[in-house]
Amino acid sequence: MGTPDSLGMTPLGRKTAETGINFTSTTRFSRGLTFIRTHTLFGQSPARRIIPQTSLLQENADPQKIAFLLRKQWTLYSVTPMYKFSYGNLKEYSRLLSAFVAAEKQKGLAVEVGNDLGIKVTLSALLGLKGTDQDQAAILVQIASRSQLPVENAEDRVVWSGWFCCVSGDDFLENVPEDFTCLSLFLANGAESYTTIVGTWFQKTFDCCFSRLTISPLNLAWMAAMWTGCEVDSHMAATELVFSVPCLPQTLDISYAIHPEDAKALWDTVQKTPGEVTQEEVNLFMDCLYSHFHRHFKIHLSATRLVKVSTSIASAHCDGTIKILHSKHLIGVLMLLTELAISQIQ
Amino acid sequence: MAASGRRLRGDPESGFTMDETVAEYIRRTVLKIPRREIMEMLTIWDFLSKTQLQTINVHHTKERISQEVVTLCEENCAGIKQAAILDMICEETDSLNLADFKYKFKRSLQTALKNVTINFREYEDNALWIRIAWGTQYTKPNQYKATYIVYHLQTPYVFISSLRSNLPLLCQALVHASNYHDIHEMELRSRCLDSLKDIVFKRYSQTFQTYHPRPLQERNVAPEKVDPRIIQENKREKERIQRVNQEVFGNGLQPKIEFAQYKLETMFKGEPEMDILTEKEPFRCVVKFSSPHLLEALKSLAPAGMADAPLSPLLTCIPQKARNYFKIKERKDILSASCLGS
Repeated sequence: MGTPDSLGMTPLGRKTAETGINFTSTTRFSRGLTFIRTHTLFGQSPARRIIPQTSLLQENADPQKIAFLLRKQWTLYSVTPMYKFSYGNLKEYSRLLSAFVAAEKQKGLAVEVGNDLGIKVTLSALLGLKGTDQDQAAILVQIASRSQLPVENAEDRVVWSGWFCCVSGDDFLENVPEDFTCLSLFLANGAESYTTIVGTWFQKTFDCCFSRLTISPLNLAWMAAMWTGCEVDSHMAATELVFSVPCLPQTLDISYAIHPEDAKALWDTVQKTPGEVTQEEVNLFMDCLYSHFHRHFKIHLSATRLVKVSTSIASAHCDGTIKILHSKHLIGVLMLLTELAISQIQ
Repeated sequence: MAASGRRLRGDPESGFTMDETVAEYIRRTVLKIPRREIMEMLTIWDFLSKTQLQTINVHHTKERISQEVVTLCEENCAGIKQAAILDMICEETDSLNLADFKYKFKRSLQTALKNVTINFREYEDNALWIRIAWGTQYTKPNQYKATYIVYHLQTPYVFISSLRSNLPLLCQALVHASNYHDIHEMELRSRCLDSLKDIVFKRYSQTFQTYHPRPLQERNVAPEKVDPRIIQENKREKERIQRVNQEVFGNGLQPKIEFAQYKLETMFKGEPEMDILTEKEPFRCVVKFSSPHLLEALKSLAPAGMADAPLSPLLTCIPQKARNYFKIKERKDILSASCLGS
């Protein structure tokens, strides 16, 4: 197996806070880069973001499949556009990928010829995860191990899942040539060895590139503000911010959890225009929280590093992991992540 | 009358001088006696008269009590023989206490629970370790999930580890065996038993009174070999921070605890410019600090520039208050050093 770097993927084990973009250069690629609209200056976050009024799932969504996406921890990757990917060939891709996974898994093992290790890979479309009609349909990849039981119809156990999506990506993509499919966000759950294998196959087959999507403290602050403001009908969870203090002889972590009603009340007084969030509002929200903290403990939280944000809607970690808790806000969260993924590709 | 080299204490009127070493020995022996047993021991000793005993106030500090006893001993011309008898009475009572405690504790638990394994072990520092493996009415004790208890008989403190259930039963047994009235849980937790003992027995170096503050230059080790062209702009501020930090945290190593949790129910008040949220309701939040060695980490915050010096009393009071769970409510005046523990 090649080293992780040659595959263009940054493995989880390494602490690369700012992942470099590992592009394998081909001529097709250099063309592919030009169609990302630069909406931000030097990769900074935008001055304002729109919170869509109707961010509900589309009607054709499968509730069971959607439920499968919730309450799981997903590792985030950004994906460059895929060349000559066809939705009509999903069955063929499943077959090819199954063979590839089996072959990779068997490398170095002394196994009987013909033994397929009971691995089955399926690619399927995930309907309903579109922000606009221009978005490409989401794709779900699952690796299941065939049941060892001799019982008929015994269920296969899913050992790894990954899905591609692009929600309201058209804001940032323009003039996409016909042969390219933009599914810029990839989320994976399961053993990292499988993630590497699947990623390698996609990169080889569709000439794209995966890289870990890390979330900066600035964007985490945006998430804290935006998600705190979301309406939640059922069980409200606290808005929790976790800070890590660098440069000390001993590591120090500070968890700052605010009662959801009080956090929302604070955000509501800060946010001026409904449906729109500005950088100033996010800054003010965070400064208020920092100031309240400083009053009690005399510690400047602004000097520490925000590493994790948890709200009733979702929780996100700066290493690039996410957990989404409510289907109602799934589209909104994916929209934000899509934007981050695309801006990382730039 | 002077003897060879030893400092003598004298009662001028009676002309008797009690040996300094005897006085010290009696003082230390009395110091070791638990407060509520002092009168009983002294009565059994039968060396001081009833009127003398009545002059002793057991609510004074132990240091003072021991001094008072020594003074009374002088009046009665105590010698090494009397001191030795007192010591033996205490030793005998100690071991009686220990055997009594173990017996009562075991009996108390075993009457309530049929399936329970109890073992004792004594250590040199007067610590009694108790190991309990719990079972239920129908199952044998689970030896892999034992609870450990450390009890210093002379003190009113008990340290408990790995207890998953049966807390009321255990408390009842402890209270009964130790002849105390009641037991309550302190809001103090750590992985380091020695640090817990340090905090609770006040063995860490407290902030000293700087009656004779030494100038900082004396305390510095060799001066750094710095390029003389480099000027530290805020040298004074750095020195101030160091000095204030020393005052607040003390000189020695901090006791080792892993976390501190604060439940805040105070009113939200941002900077004056932030005209936000003039609510009547408190802003509820929970703050938790965690670190392999929390107090050392907190101590290094101000020198690193991430906190003001002095650090908030809410954080620096942890060893003194012997707790790491706090509930902070609003006070009518400005919120300053109030730790209204519940």
